[in-house]
Amino acid sequence: MSYEFPSELRYTTTHEWVRIENNFATVGITDYAQNQLGDVVFVDLPEIGMVFEKGSNAGEIESVKAVGDLSMPLSGELIEINERLIESPELVNTSPYDRGWIIKIKIFHSNEIDELISVEEYKEFVKSEEQ
Amino acid sequence: MDIENSSNRKTPFYEIHVELGARIINFSGWLMPVQYESIIKEHEAVRSNAGMFDISHMGEFLLNGKDVIPFLQYVMINDLNLLEESKGQYSCMCYENGTVIDDLFIYEESREIFRIIVNAANIEKDFQWLNDHFKGKDVKIKNLSSTRCRLAFQGPKSDDLLQPLVDVDLSEIKRFYFKHCELNDISIFLARTGYTGERGFEISFDKENSEEIWNALLKTGASPAGLGARDSLRLEASYSLYGHEISETITPVEGGLSWLVKPKKGIDCIGKELLLKQKSDGTKRTLVGLNLFDKGIIRQNYKIFKNGNEIGYVTSGGYSPTLKKTIGLGLVKTQFKEVGTELEIDIRGKLLKGIIVSTPFYRNV
Repeated sequence: MSYEFPSELRYTTTHEWVRIENNFATVGITDYAQNQLGDVVFVDLPEIGMVFEKGSNAGEIESVKAVGDLSMPLSGELIEINERLIESPELVNTSPYDRGWIIKIKIFHSNEIDELISVEEYKEFVKSEEQ
Repeated sequence: MDIENSSNRKTPFYEIHVELGARIINFSGWLMPVQYESIIKEHEAVRSNAGMFDISHMGEFLLNGKDVIPFLQYVMINDLNLLEESKGQYSCMCYENGTVIDDLFIYEESREIFRIIVNAANIEKDFQWLNDHFKGKDVKIKNLSSTRCRLAFQGPKSDDLLQPLVDVDLSEIKRFYFKHCELNDISIFLARTGYTGERGFEISFDKENSEEIWNALLKTGASPAGLGARDSLRLEASYSLYGHEISETITPVEGGLSWLVKPKKGIDCIGKELLLKQKSDGTKRTLVGLNLFDKGIIRQNYKIFKNGNEIGYVTSGGYSPTLKKTIGLGLVKTQFKEVGTELEIDIRGKLLKGIIVSTPFYRNV
């Protein structure tokens, strides 16, 4: 199976991708994660303004067969959710890095960014998970 | 049995599934395709056109002998006298306490020959149970599970697509009936039965012909469909799944299959007495259909509450691609079983509002 992992993004070992822009981050789940979940039918998101610590559960992604957690890749405040996912949760499958983004956060501790893994590291991680 | 422990069994179609890019899961010890591309697409193909499922993990027994009917009357809760030659009957095999050993389909080849299709997870258990209860009767049983293979061919177009391939007039096979015929000159057992809530067929044949039959069916334009779609289709149609709605701890009467329990006057039958009593007196818990008012997905084992008190649990749940919302089945205390009863379902710590609804959610047969 071949997956798409854009090189400009950072990743987590819980299969989120992170796009950093200044003090803000857009977060979604990777092509591998959406493929593992299968058809996404509902994305349960927290309310804007909520504050999360890195690693805490910031939402749930329900597919026909399974439930996946959206784990916060960085500590921060939720400033935006992708409202298109309410009507079209399948965007997580069809456009995981673009129209299927999930949340935007304001980053609290920029030093946490260094703890995110690179595309090369993530590719290696997926390879090991697939075996 | 040792076979029980070899937990990565493959059907004759395994390589085909892998080649088609299926995601493989271990289901009851079998490596089976859960989906090829998308459960929803496969589900929709079966609802609008036709889908083909590998169900070769299921078991197949052939029973013959002069005493087969009295024997089956003794171990099965449905009434074999309602069956006739070339017809199939859904039934359950139960313990004395009424809980279920397995649910299965019995096909009458003749008054002395019966074919039984059982659940994959229960093949060894059923075979053992049947063998343990012959008690000197003239019954022989052959386990054909690994020498034959099985496919389901289901959907509103299944008749039209299958007809050119077989040497029988499909319109002559009524629902639940079967025929032995040829598909591309290969002998097959062809029954108008299924587990999807659509019209369709289940086919059994020697496994050496697996590839040829698969390719012939695939050429018709039917979509390969995996266990994911099989489960979402049967849930919409509200067919029981062993281990969920009925099990070693749930009786057919509790699990919505009261209609299977027949009086069979004068016939001794394991579990009958208790099940007839449950049927007339009622049970403490009852199977119901579930919907949610709130957004979310109902899943197996979620707890069900009424005014803060736990009243039951979800036996099967998921997303209905046809209805585009979540649906479920659950066992609740019988006093709460009425359609329209509002309740709460604990979805990973959140109590969401739901309601009891009538079943099936969808059937088109």
